[in-house]
Amino acid sequence: MLTEKNKLKRLGNQLFFTGPTMLFFAMAVLIPFIYGFYLTLTEMATPSSPAVFKGFHNYVDAIRDTRFWDSMWLTIKYVGATVVLVNVVGFALSYLVTSGLRGQNFFRTAYFTPNLIGGLVLGYIWQFIFVQSLPSIGEKLGIEWLRLGWLGDEHMAFWAIVIVTIWQSAGYMMIIFIAGLISVPKDMLEAATIDGANAWQRLTRMVMPMMIPAFVVTIFLSLKNAFMVYDLNFSLTEGGPFGSTEMVSMHVVQKAFVEYKYGVGQAEAIVLFVIVALVTGFQVYFSKRMEVEA
Amino acid sequence: MLARKRISASSLYVLFIVMFVVFAFPFFLLIVNSFKSNGEILESPFALPTNLSFAHFGDAFEKMNFGVTFFNSVIITAFSVIFILLFSAMTAYHLVRRPSKFNNSFFAVMVASMIIPFQSLMIPLIYIYGAKLGIIQSIPIPLLIMLYIGFGSALSVFIYHGFVKSIPLETEEASFIDGCNRRQTFFRIVLPMLAPTSVTIAILNVLWLWNDYLLPSLILIKPQHYTMPIQMKVFNGTYMNNWELLIPAILLTVLPVLIGYMFGQRFIIKGVMQGAIK
Amino acid sequence: MNFLKDRKFNSKLGMVALTAALSVSLTACGGNNNNNASGSPAASPAGSASASPAANDKPVTIKITNGKGEIASQWEEAAKEFTAANPNIKVEVYSAAVGDTLNVFDKMTASGDTVTIAMFDPDAALHKYADITSDLSNEKWNADTESALKNAAGQVIGFPFAIEGFGLVYNQKVLDQAVGGTFDPSSINTRDKLKDLLDKVKASGVKYPVAYETDDWSVANHFSSQFLNQAEDPNTISDQLKAGTLDLANNAVWNGYYDTLDMLVSKDYNKYGERPLGQYYDDAHLSVGKGESAMLFNGNWAYDSLKAVAGDKFGFIPVPVDNNPDNPLNNKIAAGATQVLVINKNATPEEQEAAKTFLNWLVYDPAGQDFIVNKSQVISGFKNNPNTVTNPLGAAIADAVKNGKTMPFTTNYVTASDYQTILGPDIQKYIAGKETRADLAKAFETYYKSKQ
Repeated sequence: MLTEKNKLKRLGNQLFFTGPTMLFFAMAVLIPFIYGFYLTLTEMATPSSPAVFKGFHNYVDAIRDTRFWDSMWLTIKYVGATVVLVNVVGFALSYLVTSGLRGQNFFRTAYFTPNLIGGLVLGYIWQFIFVQSLPSIGEKLGIEWLRLGWLGDEHMAFWAIVIVTIWQSAGYMMIIFIAGLISVPKDMLEAATIDGANAWQRLTRMVMPMMIPAFVVTIFLSLKNAFMVYDLNFSLTEGGPFGSTEMVSMHVVQKAFVEYKYGVGQAEAIVLFVIVALVTGFQVYFSKRMEVEA
Repeated sequence: MLARKRISASSLYVLFIVMFVVFAFPFFLLIVNSFKSNGEILESPFALPTNLSFAHFGDAFEKMNFGVTFFNSVIITAFSVIFILLFSAMTAYHLVRRPSKFNNSFFAVMVASMIIPFQSLMIPLIYIYGAKLGIIQSIPIPLLIMLYIGFGSALSVFIYHGFVKSIPLETEEASFIDGCNRRQTFFRIVLPMLAPTSVTIAILNVLWLWNDYLLPSLILIKPQHYTMPIQMKVFNGTYMNNWELLIPAILLTVLPVLIGYMFGQRFIIKGVMQGAIK
Repeated sequence: MNFLKDRKFNSKLGMVALTAALSVSLTACGGNNNNNASGSPAASPAGSASASPAANDKPVTIKITNGKGEIASQWEEAAKEFTAANPNIKVEVYSAAVGDTLNVFDKMTASGDTVTIAMFDPDAALHKYADITSDLSNEKWNADTESALKNAAGQVIGFPFAIEGFGLVYNQKVLDQAVGGTFDPSSINTRDKLKDLLDKVKASGVKYPVAYETDDWSVANHFSSQFLNQAEDPNTISDQLKAGTLDLANNAVWNGYYDTLDMLVSKDYNKYGERPLGQYYDDAHLSVGKGESAMLFNGNWAYDSLKAVAGDKFGFIPVPVDNNPDNPLNNKIAAGATQVLVINKNATPEEQEAAKTFLNWLVYDPAGQDFIVNKSQVISGFKNNPNTVTNPLGAAIADAVKNGKTMPFTTNYVTASDYQTILGPDIQKYIAGKETRADLAKAFETYYKSKQ
């Protein structure tokens, strides 16, 4: 391993390689985040009025806000459901479209299209499907549980959000998986086939271990997306019926920008950040270790 | 053996097509309804259009001020993506090859930053760059690009990080022996090897940048700076009822990315195939 | 296990893959300091748009925030027409978009812009933004309206921009058929008469006479605020609730409105009776528009959705609260100014003067009158405006205003966001049968006491 001879040169390389990213990252994220944290210690009547220092008052309010914790618990259930399903479906899709069949490029594009439609519009399209299309199919075919609109029942509304999430994100994860899958050397797999390994063994013993870097990314992304879900929640159910599908991001936005409790909303956002940071931190830490071992 | 293969192939196709229907169905709905009037869309959304009139497209095209808006979106997306790719690859390379306390914590901070709820940065951003520095008003588009580089770098560094690790050190060492310094080695050896990953990261970033609404909605205040998603909202009246304009507008927004993706993914495959043959 | 170690990579292929990025990147590395400036080619036409006006003879720019996104283009046009008539005053309009998390006024103010005229709903103007409003009591237009918004001190602070109203929106054709003649909305002034009408509609072959959409803002902010109208001044009732001196569980009017609601959402009449909650806004309007149902509860803006499927005639029936035909609540439509314009007192005196000129233009200039009523289809709060809106629901409200058949728009007397997010879920639970009337009364009382 070549090392730089003197400290100055090392510093020069450090600045050259990481300087631009550090600069823009600080500009966009770090400095606003620190300022945002300062704002949680203040109280503002409107987002444009002067901030008055209040100490940790907003955090006390945030922790006492039972609806915040209700929405957090619901979000955790949603995270559990979507992280597993999105990754399974996404991986299956990528496996399918790299299987070498004719027309797979076309299908690759097709499975990816849900990502192209922004969250709000997408919500309205699916609202139509859950409120009008599925019930009319249920009525015609006499399927009792499909006969009524999904979004009026708290359990069905929850699963409606999960279904749309899978539909929307599976194609995205597929792209990340494809990048990994097509780099798996074909000759190695052929050799294994000759040695008598069946398809399942090839998948679990040879392909999956090579996909660990991809899984680190997709699991992280699906965790993060699930904790942060907002657009879809807002446009599909608006948190209804009776607030039963209000996830934590939506609650935070409501607090800050609809109820105009800006400081409390901001404090809840920080609490959310800490929780998600812990969860994803564990995930990245352990999977990065696996990456090294593999 | 051959028969079995044929069966599994045809069952795969069935699976392909079932998934295709599920995934492309809403997109299909958009296309079909882009030719209809408001009344037809609401009354019979599944019916095929009675005539293929592009009148609504023309209308949407004009009302979106398509030329200017499209140009803004392209400029913002292109510059942001190019710099994100370059800076993130450089950073990831350095972080992998030069692990130090500082570099490791920097990486951790970047990863953690991805889970900051954007809504909690909205007020600080407009306060700092608007009220304090006044550059939201003076240079909105360059400011937006700079912020995008900052927001986009975390995920990109994160993805590059995993893939840089898998590049064999021997290749680099050979280049050092040839007399290249670290920077030259990065640009001549490492960056080209990261190409498939770069294309993937580029696609993910383009997708996000092209469709992003919240950040530009804070920064681009004047109509001549609007990007496609912001312009699209112009149609989107409070009660969401101008579907006959909205749907063509959505398609006009989405199609450039779709075409770009088709092109981009061919690129990945070609690249890897060439690599495999060699 | 790292397969890459065993493979040789062709570096040329990567060169191809990233040619574009590389060519730019290499030049970018040469001069690191240029990065900040290099991304600016698009900012060409901006020019010096934001000039700050200093003296009276210099041109002034006023900035207006428009909360009604659906009339954004009409506002742009009005701005041009106004400047054509008043060359020294330039008008910039910033419109809200659907799904904005941060409203356009806050966004601009926080980023250092001073908005001159802002459009708010009355509650926001009176409370949240009370600090920025200025006294408009001496403006000429006060003589031509009864809908100006006054603060607690009696000063006029809000210019009534739009009058809106709500009630039971009906499809004339369906009801004509049901009653066998021309249906007269004033004939329905008790709950029993409404029930009778619904039965007739059913008898005429319409399976579900009502399509009741239960969005939180509709069932909470609109329907559930109506009981405040039992006093001449709705504030009286809110004050009593805050003081804890009003017993809702035994309040006839409060209960009366929920008795009516029970009937409207019941399985007997409501298309969604089996599962009354759900996102039914579009479907409900489609049903009434097509004549598959006879009525729904909403405001005059419902026409935007109805007109897409039907050109039929529509109108309003007041929501009956009891069986007394002489009760004014059964005979009047709730209507009032739902959007007011305020002048920001932080704007410069020149800007404020220009803003006043603009408000006068809206009231007295034929082009301003035309902009509000004909072009934007907004019901004007000014008696001198000779135009009438053409959409049937707007016209019905305008008629009611003219004939004195309106009562206060009670949503203006509640904190809309609280009603929607705090009381909304309770009201929806009540509709779904998961909460009793007594629970609901308690939720109202608890909420109001917390506002004390």
